[in-house]
Amino acid sequence: MNGRAWKNMASSDANLLSLITASRPGAAPTLLRSALPVVVIVALAVMAQVVLKGLLGGYYADLAITIGVNIVLAVSLTIVNGFTGQFSMGHAGFLAVGGYVSGAVTYYFSLTQWGSAAAAGGRLSGMPLSTEGLAWLGAGDVLFPVALLIGGLVSALLGLAVGLPSLRLRGDYLAIVTLGFGEIIRVVIQQSGPALKTPEAAEQAGVLGMATGLGGALGFGGLPKYTSLFWVVLFAGLTMLVAYRIKTSTSGRAMLSVREDEIAAEAMGVNTTRTKVWAFVIAAFFAGIAGGLYAHKLGVALGPVDAGFQRSFDIIIMVVLGGLGSISGAALAAVVVTMLPEYLRAVADYRMIIFALALILMMILRPKGLLGVREVWDADLWRGLFRRGKSAKGGGK
Amino acid sequence: MSLLIAQGVSKSFGGLKAVQGFALELPERGLYGLIGPNGAGKTTVFNLLTGVYRPDEGTVKLAGRELTRLRPNRIAGEGLARTFQNIRLFGELSVIDNLKVACHLRCPHGMPAAVLRLAGHRAQERALAERCGRLLEMFGLASRAHEQARNLPYGDQRRLEIARAIATGPKVLLLDEPAAGMNPQEKKELRTLIRSVRDTFGLAVLLIEHDMGVVMDLCERITVLDYGKVIAHGPPEQVQKDPKVIEAYLGAPAA
Ligand SMILES: Nc1ncnc2c1ncn2[C@@H]1O[C@H](COP(=O)(O)OP(=O)(O)O)[C@@H](O)[C@H]1O
Ligand SMILES: [Mg+2]
Repeated sequence: MNGRAWKNMASSDANLLSLITASRPGAAPTLLRSALPVVVIVALAVMAQVVLKGLLGGYYADLAITIGVNIVLAVSLTIVNGFTGQFSMGHAGFLAVGGYVSGAVTYYFSLTQWGSAAAAGGRLSGMPLSTEGLAWLGAGDVLFPVALLIGGLVSALLGLAVGLPSLRLRGDYLAIVTLGFGEIIRVVIQQSGPALKTPEAAEQAGVLGMATGLGGALGFGGLPKYTSLFWVVLFAGLTMLVAYRIKTSTSGRAMLSVREDEIAAEAMGVNTTRTKVWAFVIAAFFAGIAGGLYAHKLGVALGPVDAGFQRSFDIIIMVVLGGLGSISGAALAAVVVTMLPEYLRAVADYRMIIFALALILMMILRPKGLLGVREVWDADLWRGLFRRGKSAKGGGK
Repeated sequence: MSLLIAQGVSKSFGGLKAVQGFALELPERGLYGLIGPNGAGKTTVFNLLTGVYRPDEGTVKLAGRELTRLRPNRIAGEGLARTFQNIRLFGELSVIDNLKVACHLRCPHGMPAAVLRLAGHRAQERALAERCGRLLEMFGLASRAHEQARNLPYGDQRRLEIARAIATGPKVLLLDEPAAGMNPQEKKELRTLIRSVRDTFGLAVLLIEHDMGVVMDLCERITVLDYGKVIAHGPPEQVQKDPKVIEAYLGAPAA
C-alpha cells in the first residue's frame, strides 16, 4: 500500500475511533428488529403448546420438556465454560437453588393465598390432557414466571458470591470452588425440614418456617405443575437469544478473548475479572430459571440429588460435546444426550461410563467439541468440514 | 516533557534480579530501541511497563499520569499498547474480531444494550466494523478478515498483532521482537510498516529487536540492557561503538 493512501486512512482512523466512542444511534427505528425474535419465540412457544403437544402425545411431550430444560442448562453453562473458558463444575447447584427458591414461592404462595398448592394455570401452562373450558392463562401463570425470575435472581446472587472471589485468580480455582458449592447446596437442602402440608401449618410456621420447609432428604413434593411446552420453549428460546446476542457483542467478544488468551485480553483493555464474573452470574441466572422449570415439571420430585455432581457432569458433557462456545452445538448436544438414554437401554444403564468415554474420545479427536466456537449456521463451519483433509494439513503449524 | 517516563524500575524473581533501576524517557513520536542479549530482561521491562508484573521499585508515567500500580487493562486504557514476543492472538476468533476486542475500551454500549439490541449497540457495531475493516486494509489483511487468526501465515500473525495493538488507540506502542522469524523480504516490509505506523498515527514506539539491521536503521535512540541493567543509552552510532555493548554481545574478552 502506498504512503499517501496510508496517511489518509490513518488520519481518518481518529474519526472512526470517535465514531465508536460516540456510537450515536441512527434515525432508523430499531424496535422491530430488537423485538421481532422475541415475538417469534413467543409464537413458537404458543404453537408448541397448542399444536405440538397434541401431535407428540404425552410421552414425547414430556421428553420434549426435559430436552428444553436441558437446553437452557447447556446453553447457560456454555456462557461460562464455552465463552470465557472457565471451568464450572457445579452448575447443578444453581439449578437446585433456582428450583427450590421458585418452588418455595409457588408452593407457599398458593398454599397461603389460594388455600391449595395445586396449579392454577390456563391452557398455556401445565400439561392438561383436556383443555376444554380453560382460559389461555390463569392467575398461576403470573405467579409462575415471577417465581422463576426470583429463583433465577437468587441463583445469580449466589453466582456473584461464588464467582467474585474465585474468578479474581487465574487458574482452576473455579472448578474446585464450584464443585464444593454444588455439594454444599445439596447438603443444605438435605438439612431442611419437611414441607408444610396445610395453609394453617404454613401460617403458623411463618416465613422462616416456610423457607426452611423444603422437604429435606425426601425431596420437595407437591409443587404445582406449571411447566409446559409453552414455558419451556419460551425460556429455551430466550436463553439462546440472549446468549447469541451476548456472543455477538463487545461483551461476548471480551469473554471469548479471555478464553483464548487472558494475558493478551488484559493487555487489550479487557477487564478480565469483571468479564468472567458477569458470564458466571448470567449463567447462574439461567441455570436458576432452568431449575424452576424442572421443579414444576410433571413427574419430577425435586430432591437434593439435583444439586449433585452427577447432574453437573451431565450438563458439562453437553457443553463439551457440542463445542466449547457454540450455542447451537450445546443445544444440539442437549437434545442428543437427553434422548440417547431413552432409546438405548445400554446408554441408560452405563451412562456415566459411556459419556465419560465419549468425552475422552472427543478430547482426542476434536478437542474443541463438535462445532468448536462456531454455530451451525456459520458458513465456514461447513466449508471447514468439507475441506477437512486440506485444512488439516495447512493448520498443522 | 517526555511522553513515557520510567524511573528506577526494578523487579526480582526470587533471587534473580531480572531488571534493576531501569530508566527511560520516550518523547512523543520517538522511535526508540531496547536491545540486549537473550535473558537480559527486555521482555520483563515490557511486562513491568504494561502491568503484567508489578515493579518492586520505581515509577512509570505516561503523559504525566502514574501507571505504576494500575492493572494491565487500565494501563491499556491510558494509552500503552503492546505486542508479544510469542504471538498471543485470539486464535479461534476471526481476524477482524481480534481487532474488535482491542476496541473494547472505547465501546460505551455494554451488555444491556447488546441483549436488547438497542440502537446504540447497532451503531457501535457498525462503527466497529468500519474502523476495524479499515485497519485491516491498512495492514494488508482485509482479504482475511473472517478467517480464524490461528490459520494466518506467520508473518500475517505478526502484523495482525501490531494492528490489534493499534486498534486500542494507543499513545505508545511497545513491540517485542516483531521481526523474529521473518524472512529478509518480510523484514524489509516490516521496517516500512513500523515507520509508517509511527508517522501516520503519531505514536511513540519502543522496539525490542535482535536484528541489528532493523534496529540501527529504525531507532533514533537505543537502550542496551545486560543482566537487567542499562549499560548504554544513546544514538545507534554511539551505542554501536560502546565497548561495554560490544563486550555484552561478544562475551567478556577471554578471562
Ligand atoms: N515470571 C518469571 N519468573 C521467573 N523468572 C523470570 C520470569 N520472567 C522472566 N524471568 C527471568 O528474567 C530474565 C529476563 O527474562 P526476559 O525479560 O524474558 O529476557 P529477554 O526478553 O531480554 O530475553 C530471564 O533470566 C528469565 O528467565
Ligand atoms: Mg524477550
